[in-house]
Amino acid sequence: MEIMGKIAFAVYTVVILAGALVAVGSSSLVRALVGLITTLVGVAGMYMLLNSPFMAFMQLLIYVGAVSVLIFFAVMLTRADASGEEGKPASIRKHLYALLGAASPAVILGWALMTRPVESISTPTEVGLNALGHELLGSYFLPFEIISAVLMIAMSGAVLLAWERRGRK
Amino acid sequence: MSNLVLYQLVALTLLAAGLFGIMKRRSLVGMLIAVELMLNGAGLSIVAAAQLTEANATLGQLGTLFVMGLAAAEATLVLSIIVVVFRRFGSAKTGEITTLKE
Repeated sequence: MEIMGKIAFAVYTVVILAGALVAVGSSSLVRALVGLITTLVGVAGMYMLLNSPFMAFMQLLIYVGAVSVLIFFAVMLTRADASGEEGKPASIRKHLYALLGAASPAVILGWALMTRPVESISTPTEVGLNALGHELLGSYFLPFEIISAVLMIAMSGAVLLAWERRGRK
Repeated sequence: MSNLVLYQLVALTLLAAGLFGIMKRRSLVGMLIAVELMLNGAGLSIVAAAQLTEANATLGQLGTLFVMGLAAAEATLVLSIIVVVFRRFGSAKTGEITTLKE
């Protein structure tokens, strides 16, 4: 990594960590959502650093554009008041248990990562948009079609679930 | 430390934050936010592993693209489930919709 790349990596890491901290720690759900969006933008920057601008574009388009709006609708439809949906903060014991439950897999995975490092190349591979499109309609045609069916079924299922019949209120 | 390990550590932090959030939050929407954090960590890890090693980079990027599509489908379904639960119980907090203990 060049020096500029290192600086950019550090900046994106700080953005991601700060966003994640707000997303899990804030008692107001709207603030947590803003933290999530900050993290998503930071991950998009990481994709740019990894020399995959298409993934960064898709991250902004799908996550920041669509999923965060969906979560905002969820916050709105469950009537989060101004003080936040969470209400009073969780007890110390619950925090401790959650910290323990999150730390144990993280420590195991981090240990495996540190003790068995994989050889990495210094400059990321470049994959053109052409190659991605060819593969999408070539070797990975079946998952591409199945994901469209999954999205369609999920959308109609969501409409069916939330449907309110007239006169049955 | 190699570049790959640094990226994987950031992804691991996202996973840990998501796990912590999903255990700490007491509303369904907060848990959904934590799940999105974890899915993002997975995507970052896959792309880093594909771009920075000799592995097939196209496969890594397309795999992350499919993860994003599935995350969008999952968010849609969870939104409608939250709406149904809220309509039935009048609340979306995990403590108030537990009926098995009664």
